[in-house]
Amino acid sequence: MVETALKEKKCRGEFIKPGRHYLEGSEACVEGALLAGMKVYAGYPITPASEIMEHASRRLPQVGGRFIQMEDEISAVCALIGASWAGAKAMTATSSPGFSLMQEAISFSIMTETPLVIVDVQRPGPGQGYITTSQEDVMQARYGHHGEGPIIALAPSSVQDMFELTIEAFNLSEKWRTPVLIMADETVAHMREQLIVPELDTIEILGRRKPQDLNISPEAYLPYGHDIVPPMANFGEGYNINHVSLAHHADGSVGNYSLEVHRENIERLHQKIEGNVNEIARVESQFLDDCDHVLICYGSVARTGLEAVREVREVHGIKIGFIRLVTLWPFPEEKLRNLISMVKTIFVPEMNLGMIKHPITGALRDKCDQVIPMPEIGVLHHPDKLVNQILEVTTC
Amino acid sequence: MLKHPMLKYINEEGPSGKRFPHLLCPGCGAGQVLNYTLHAVDDLINQTGAKKEAFVFISGVGCSSRLTSHYLNFDSAWTLHGRALPIATGVLLANPELKIIVFTGDGDAAAIGGNHFIHAFRRNINVTVICVNNGLYGMTGGQVAPTTPPFTSTPTTPYGNIEDAFDLCKLAEVAGASYISRWTTAHPIQTTKAIKKGITNKGASFIEILSQCPVHEHQTPVEMTKALKEITVSIKKSMDSNKIPVGELHFAPRPTWTERYESVIEKANEMIS
Amino acid sequence: MKTNERFEIRVAGFGGQGVVTIGRILGEAFTIYEGVNSVNTRSYGPESRGGACRSEVVVSRGEIHYPSVRKADVLVALSQAALDMYIPDLKEDGILLIDPNSVKDVPKKHLCYGVPAMGIAHSVGDVKYQNSVVLGALAALLKSMLKKESLKSAVSENVPPKTVQKNLKAFEAGWAHIMNVKMVVAE
Repeated sequence: MVETALKEKKCRGEFIKPGRHYLEGSEACVEGALLAGMKVYAGYPITPASEIMEHASRRLPQVGGRFIQMEDEISAVCALIGASWAGAKAMTATSSPGFSLMQEAISFSIMTETPLVIVDVQRPGPGQGYITTSQEDVMQARYGHHGEGPIIALAPSSVQDMFELTIEAFNLSEKWRTPVLIMADETVAHMREQLIVPELDTIEILGRRKPQDLNISPEAYLPYGHDIVPPMANFGEGYNINHVSLAHHADGSVGNYSLEVHRENIERLHQKIEGNVNEIARVESQFLDDCDHVLICYGSVARTGLEAVREVREVHGIKIGFIRLVTLWPFPEEKLRNLISMVKTIFVPEMNLGMIKHPITGALRDKCDQVIPMPEIGVLHHPDKLVNQILEVTTC
Repeated sequence: MLKHPMLKYINEEGPSGKRFPHLLCPGCGAGQVLNYTLHAVDDLINQTGAKKEAFVFISGVGCSSRLTSHYLNFDSAWTLHGRALPIATGVLLANPELKIIVFTGDGDAAAIGGNHFIHAFRRNINVTVICVNNGLYGMTGGQVAPTTPPFTSTPTTPYGNIEDAFDLCKLAEVAGASYISRWTTAHPIQTTKAIKKGITNKGASFIEILSQCPVHEHQTPVEMTKALKEITVSIKKSMDSNKIPVGELHFAPRPTWTERYESVIEKANEMIS
Repeated sequence: MKTNERFEIRVAGFGGQGVVTIGRILGEAFTIYEGVNSVNTRSYGPESRGGACRSEVVVSRGEIHYPSVRKADVLVALSQAALDMYIPDLKEDGILLIDPNSVKDVPKKHLCYGVPAMGIAHSVGDVKYQNSVVLGALAALLKSMLKKESLKSAVSENVPPKTVQKNLKAFEAGWAHIMNVKMVVAE
């Protein structure tokens, strides 16, 4: 199918070579996507995400993929859905206002269990807001789509992350048959730093499990059945797959509606992701041994967070630990609880007025004396500001 | 007992029970459109060697869009209101060999789907759009649509419709569809032929099928079928008539989007030494 | 430079003076040709159109956390507005590089070098080579930590192939200017 373009047209473009590179976050994201097997990109221009689309438009045809600029963000994500159904790994990138437009289609992708990747290069809102950096969409990521439906969202903190987490996003979307969000921000999309690409055969690339892999014949195939992650047939393979987002039975039919079947539908979707949170969600930590306080952060803020934590420890002798959420959703509640014993203060710096602080508080309120949010709007926290705030609280 | 020949393409039963007959109202035109479409597809499979697994049916939301909900023994998708065309675009980017048939209604295609309607035709993506036009929003209760004639009373125009109606075929032509045909549910043979030609056309084909909605129009199906014949006239005789022209309205094939993208792939690789 | 030490360079001026390009090429020189870590960030938005458009490079042998300048070791100010805005963030013992044709009002407390980038670029052939003039001057100022060849390679890789020769000529002119003329003595 898609591969015929590559063979017939003698695409000479190559994937990024192993070794040391110097790239902008946007470029690293596209190179990671290509390595992960992306063959379709459909997008729409929006500041500050347009660079990702522009790189994709140049690189995709070089490696036998197809790129299209659609008429709006809604049609962009819809094109990804169609491409995925026809067997292609597909991605788009947008910013916060475009992300709002995509929510209906994201809800649809969750219900139809369609693998696809969406990068949100967050900018401040509401409305047009501004075009600098932000983390104001992190709740929208989990709850912006209508209906009960879990989702996976990752938060890159570096150019290396823009590369690695994009590959991870594709793998997660294929493995769990779900849309996956990369909650980037203007800082990490536009920063330029070293990228180390490992030997290509050491990079794990996953594809969706298909009924053919399990010896399920077209006659016996249930598009939403067989397993908690249903094997997915592509269009054109004779499996007569029917994609539908009304509450459905395992065979895809929507007749004979009953509350039991409806609830089973939703329960399985929920279990598929939230029930596997410990396998899916990742958290990184440092300096947690006998720390008195801890700072929990994600995305670009982790760059300032770690700078501030090191300074507070090394210069002021305060025992503060550091946790970075690599995965925002499903929220790694159990992992966080296992990392922390009692601490006095949990600091949560975010480029919003306090969003992830809510599930953090929910998970860890009994493990600390207080949770202190450290909001910032429109700009990356300055280390001086974080250091001063931490010292004010911890040395009084 | 004689079985309808097109039932071979229908899932009458499934693991969770009966699926057919379909849920559409008695006398609805969408069922006829399904019949004509399956005849067209059947002919192409038998006569031209088209592969059954290459056909993909995609619909939006509305009465006519229910045709893909679980009836078809083909690859299919019942998608978002107005968004069947961008989804179809994505399918073709991944696999240009698939033969996509889109079932849509007048509201789905020209109101919420209006933007995608014009761009899919501008791009001439290889898709056959079958638009069941009943001049109203059937599924939700008969509200006014962009195709409802002026002065009509509907649940949302209780004092009469003050808007003019789209001519969907003209809209499709200006947007760039390469094959355009209009018929009605009262013209089974011609409609089937038009759908066949639409599928065969490499490019964006738009087939508008004027259809009856007996429930919301409060008329019998027979009355409405007669009326469909009376208000339409063959394109050849339409010059001196106020009636709605039916027939092949436009046919100007040109390269499809994916065909043109081949030149992009070539250029992108030429520049690599 | 010790492992976790940071060396911070800020380049600022009018949008259109090539501030972003200078920062990017500098970063590439460090990251690819010297093999040390660097992060290059830039201002974004309407502020990048005014006189205080900036591009920053933070360099370290170790991991770089905060990606922007905290206290600059080097400030390249190509406009008065840029100097006024960013001089408070320059370390006491930091180095200031200015274009004396556009920056007249220079505080006395920093070591200050001047390179008339536009003029030199013009003599090489075109004002558009001023970025390379500034980079050449920077190469001279940073020669203890950045090999001249590293920066020259980065310049060659990042300009249109037909202009490589002219850009390298501009680079050498910027280098020579600093090596020969040395400091601007503020009166």
